[in-house]
Amino acid sequence: MTPVIDIRDMHVRFGEVEAVAGIDLAADSGRATALLGRNGAGKSTTMKVLAGVVPPTSGVVLVAGHDVAADPLSVKRAVGYCPDVGGLVPRATPWEHLQLTARLRRMPEWEARGRDLLERFELGDVAHRVVGGFSHGMGRRLSVVLAALHEPHVLLLDEPFDGVDPIGVEATLEVVADARARGACILLSTHLRDLALEACGSAIVLRGGSSVAEMDAAELTSEAYRALLD
Amino acid sequence: MRSWTDRWVSAAADLGHLLRFRSQTVRRPRAAALALASVLAVTLVLAVAPAWTTGIPADRLRLIEDLLPAALAGFLLLGIGASMGGGGGRELLPREQAAIHPIGPVTEHLGALVLAPLNLAWLLQAWTLLAATALVVGPQGLVGAQLVVVLWVLVATAVAQAVGWSVEGIRRTRHGVVIVRAATVALAMSLLAGQVGGKLDDLADVLPTAALAESLGGGRWPAVAALLTALLVAAVTLGAVPARWALRKPPRDELRVESGVHEARPTPVARFLGEDLALLRRLDRGSVWRSVGMRRGLIVLGLGPALVALGAGLPWDTLLILPGLGASGAALLFGVNAWCLDGRGMLWRESLPVAPARIFDARALVTAECLVVVSAIPVLAGSVRNGLPTQQVAIALMVCWLVVVVQVLAISMSWSVRRPYAVDLRSPRATPAPHAAMFGYALKLSMVTTVTGMLFVGAAGVDVWWLPLAFGVPFLLWSGVRLIRARRRWLAAPARAEIALTVAAG
Repeated sequence: MTPVIDIRDMHVRFGEVEAVAGIDLAADSGRATALLGRNGAGKSTTMKVLAGVVPPTSGVVLVAGHDVAADPLSVKRAVGYCPDVGGLVPRATPWEHLQLTARLRRMPEWEARGRDLLERFELGDVAHRVVGGFSHGMGRRLSVVLAALHEPHVLLLDEPFDGVDPIGVEATLEVVADARARGACILLSTHLRDLALEACGSAIVLRGGSSVAEMDAAELTSEAYRALLD
Repeated sequence: MRSWTDRWVSAAADLGHLLRFRSQTVRRPRAAALALASVLAVTLVLAVAPAWTTGIPADRLRLIEDLLPAALAGFLLLGIGASMGGGGGRELLPREQAAIHPIGPVTEHLGALVLAPLNLAWLLQAWTLLAATALVVGPQGLVGAQLVVVLWVLVATAVAQAVGWSVEGIRRTRHGVVIVRAATVALAMSLLAGQVGGKLDDLADVLPTAALAESLGGGRWPAVAALLTALLVAAVTLGAVPARWALRKPPRDELRVESGVHEARPTPVARFLGEDLALLRRLDRGSVWRSVGMRRGLIVLGLGPALVALGAGLPWDTLLILPGLGASGAALLFGVNAWCLDGRGMLWRESLPVAPARIFDARALVTAECLVVVSAIPVLAGSVRNGLPTQQVAIALMVCWLVVVVQVLAISMSWSVRRPYAVDLRSPRATPAPHAAMFGYALKLSMVTTVTGMLFVGAAGVDVWWLPLAFGVPFLLWSGVRLIRARRRWLAAPARAEIALTVAAG
């Protein structure tokens, strides 16, 4: 069976810089995979390629059966993406963000789920305030809500715990668990090993733009992780 | 405690460091140096060459001489408008970047003064004043006259800056926003009432700048220059007081937008251009009108020239130039880097399942709306004062308006896809691109639209109805091609990814 995320020898270059140097990666449905590695390892770039935002320079990247280079629109329909930084239009409100994503994903009955997610992430009170005034943590929480709204086949969460309070972390872990339960494929990039292990069943470690290890999350002890980073 | 002089010396040194830092981040230093040299050369030519121009009818020269006091006063008024609209003055460093540095209000004040000339209206008006002075004065006494004009330009800039800081300070008090809005509306209404009552016709004669204009070319210029120098020192020094006052207070206008409740309207139903496009346009419009700086800028750009058109009674041939300048000014608020409306949200928007063409079209339409609105207001105000134009002028005006809007839109969208910048337009003092780039943009847009406007002024003066239409077609075709090229570039996934990554990096 073809994995939901299937990356083969993917390279991404920005001018002279090779951000990703030949990654091979596969992830199946009903599983949450942690993407770990140091700064500049290529985690966020890989996420952006999988979200259909950045085209790969070479290699094959299939997401839910769609080639990201040939059919990015279908990829975007299948994916829910929480970018690593910001990810929010500064002078729009959370509700307007939800409204746009629901409209473009053709979700006529979205309001109840939108309200529920906002409440779970404790953003219900600020649903009609522009996000420019939000704290970093509030922004991260809203980004997770936007990624999860349409119950995507593939959930890409890039640093979802960064600067988020314990309630937000708990709500994010719930979103990951729900997605896994309904058979979605989850890829979660983070620097926080403990949270990665809590949320995910397996882990992939990237270094210098390449994948250096793939293992069950339980095997990724602190020492093993440290050794893989150096 | 540091002495007064220590504070100013330290502020000036900080200003030097910050300007050096900014100059090192200029992407194309050679092009920037060339642009600066060109501006200085054009300034010199405009300040000198008209003095030797012959063959100008005496009544035309007399008219320019009569309008000089109003033009000198207009420089101050529009300077005040610009500094009020810009939240006191431009910032040397974006707010988020500046927050970690110990930059004092005096440095901010000096920085705003140094950056004030990087403004389309400032530059064009300064050139107009220099050229008009050279025409009126002639070769005899030109140096003294131009020195007085340059000093006036500097004094007016410093005074406008001080007024701008004061207004920003008031705006940041408890009921400041209401007070400033009420005062602005009252002033606009008074001018309108004066115009309707016919009391503005002789305004130029009673302006304090009439004495200044009278001194140009005379033997009193050393005394006038000395007086203006003293005024300049006083204005720069005193301007630091309201700057310090304003910058100590929280920006209420911005905080009100950020903490206010904006209930979302229902999802739009099917429209002519489709629901997706309607919703995208709504979001983009919100990004424009909820930005304090852009909202103020659009209002100032629309109403400022409109009041001048009403008050000074600009003739139709001058009004033909205004749509181009208005559209250029509006483009400089965000259009030259149109994707900056999304800020860091651009990555998320790019991950949404919508055809890239729809995104481009929505942004281009919203930019075009702003250009149309801002350029229309002065023309409408001018028609209130002048009455209906002749058929020839009306055709020239309509075609010229359409041409400059499409022209500015095409140039702006082209720049937006070729040279995106990461900027945060949260502060009204922020600009959509670095200062050096903004200067180049302002220069190019003003030159292109002014030359286009002049062409239509010529077409309006010839009694051949189809001439403006004949002029308009090639312009529209060329701009259309440019717009299509920009759209095609946007549709290429690698180029779009580069834009998204650049803009979201802010």
